[in-house]
Amino acid sequence: MTTAEVNSNELSLETKGTTGQKVAVALLLLIPMLVFAITPIYDFKGPELFGLTFFYWFETLWLFVSAAFYVGAAMLLNRMEGGNK
Amino acid sequence: MNNVEVVAVFISLFILFVALGFWASRWRKGDMSDLGEWALAGRKLGSYLAWFLVGADLYTAYTFIAIPESLFVKGAIYFFAVPYVGITFGVAMITMPRLWKISKNKNYVTAVDMIQDKFNSKSLAVIIALTGIVAELPYIALQIYGMQAVLTIMIGQLITSDVVTITEISLIIAFIILAAFTFTSGLRGAVITAVMKDIIIFATVIVVIVLVPMYIGGFGHAFASMPKLPFGTGTLPPLLLNGFISLTIGSALALYLYPHAINGVFSTSSTKKLRMSTALLPLYGVGLALLALFGVLAYGASNALPLIHHYGPLVTVPALIYAYFPPWFVGFAFLGIFIGGLVPASIMAIAQANLLTRNVIKPFWKNITAKTEARLSKYFSIMFKFLALGFIFLINATYSLQLQLVGGIIILQTLPSIFLAMYVKRLNKWSVGAGWAAGQITGLSLLIYANFVIDKFTSIQSVLFKFSTPLGFFYAGMVGLLVNLLVVAVGTAISVSIHPKVTAEASGGARK
Repeated sequence: MTTAEVNSNELSLETKGTTGQKVAVALLLLIPMLVFAITPIYDFKGPELFGLTFFYWFETLWLFVSAAFYVGAAMLLNRMEGGNK
Repeated sequence: MNNVEVVAVFISLFILFVALGFWASRWRKGDMSDLGEWALAGRKLGSYLAWFLVGADLYTAYTFIAIPESLFVKGAIYFFAVPYVGITFGVAMITMPRLWKISKNKNYVTAVDMIQDKFNSKSLAVIIALTGIVAELPYIALQIYGMQAVLTIMIGQLITSDVVTITEISLIIAFIILAAFTFTSGLRGAVITAVMKDIIIFATVIVVIVLVPMYIGGFGHAFASMPKLPFGTGTLPPLLLNGFISLTIGSALALYLYPHAINGVFSTSSTKKLRMSTALLPLYGVGLALLALFGVLAYGASNALPLIHHYGPLVTVPALIYAYFPPWFVGFAFLGIFIGGLVPASIMAIAQANLLTRNVIKPFWKNITAKTEARLSKYFSIMFKFLALGFIFLINATYSLQLQLVGGIIILQTLPSIFLAMYVKRLNKWSVGAGWAAGQITGLSLLIYANFVIDKFTSIQSVLFKFSTPLGFFYAGMVGLLVNLLVVAVGTAISVSIHPKVTAEASGGARK
């Protein structure tokens, strides 16, 4: 695919979209990252699950939540970008 | 255990793997004498294949061997790999579509192409390219440690004498085969074999994580049998909290600075597909989390412990599989772990070779043809693989993870020149170069000081530096990055105050 065939929106570096959409994207990206980065939130023994301390199972579970948040952000960003699928 | 059956299944699947690797050159056929075709698979990858390819960068011996080993030996702090992968894809969601667009606009094939253009500095571009190449080496060496671990236990259980020699010969043979199909198929070979590798690995991880806890009486039993580990058992010791956080954030920022990760990004066909595949990548992390927990599980696995004691903690995951499963499954899983090191090693060597020809050699060899450029890259990719192989035959064995984390210290210092350069117009080459130097010196001297002066180790055993008590342990790479960023900020502020207005041309770069 040459540059000429690519939709111009796709190559624009400006983020289009309403303020509300931008705030939503920021939250969808930042919440999963911040929860992971602030370790004291999950550095506990209990409650345990399958014999694992909270420290281990919470982080594993949060990966699923993060993927869901990121997919939300990706869908929103892709819609804001417009152009070809 | 029928060890012959293990080896037979392993070898049969390896032959299938090699056949796929060679066949890949015909898949979505392109002109292999073109660098973009060979190194970026013609930039044609959709969401699924990009997911597998970038996932292959993550699901490596780092995951199967290094993290479980470290968790087994040292404890909870090494579970940092889980928040690391959780965060790193958020970082990628923010930075990578932008890098993709900038590169598509200007036909860049590597991130260093952008650096060269933005800062208009050959020397800075060469420095960053060489940094990327050097930082990949310990990462490749880690892959080889992983492959060696599988071969050692498989061959060691089959025969009793000459295990080391036969393991080394097998490794060399595997590398020659890998070099041959990387040469012919390029990134296509890596993508196609990555799919095979991930299917085997996913299947293995799920089967093992469900069945082994049932055999040994659950994780509760494993934790109860666990001795008190120095770096945390069920939770983190307070002194290591900052160590955990700095390892997490440092690694999360580092992954997408590695040439092989950026190479993967450039091979996707659109930003939309790039975003979607990146968003789904934390799911790979679930496999990583489960594999890390094998390091805990091993303590409750009385059949696996003698093997781990005999062959060393590097074989934590292979030993658990060997001890509890039938021979055909062991052969299947071992092959998965083995190619789990081989495929990433290939991807990393392609990225290194790409950088070396494009950003180190080409600027000084103006009239190089596209054909020669591609051919040189192919030969360099072979050279880098064997360089890493030689590296591990020569170098003092250490905890395998530490190798990758040393690479992290080095690659982190390229953050201003790649990430910041995409957003900050007024960044200049002098402050970025000075920041790079300050960061490398700080990070590496803390590393050397902590290992060889304070603890008097004979090899690198830890990348954490112990500050006085409220701070505790800290990843040397993050300390280096903070110093680096400080220098860049001061340097940029000075240059802005000296030249408050810069012509559009001089500011150059991303938005031109």
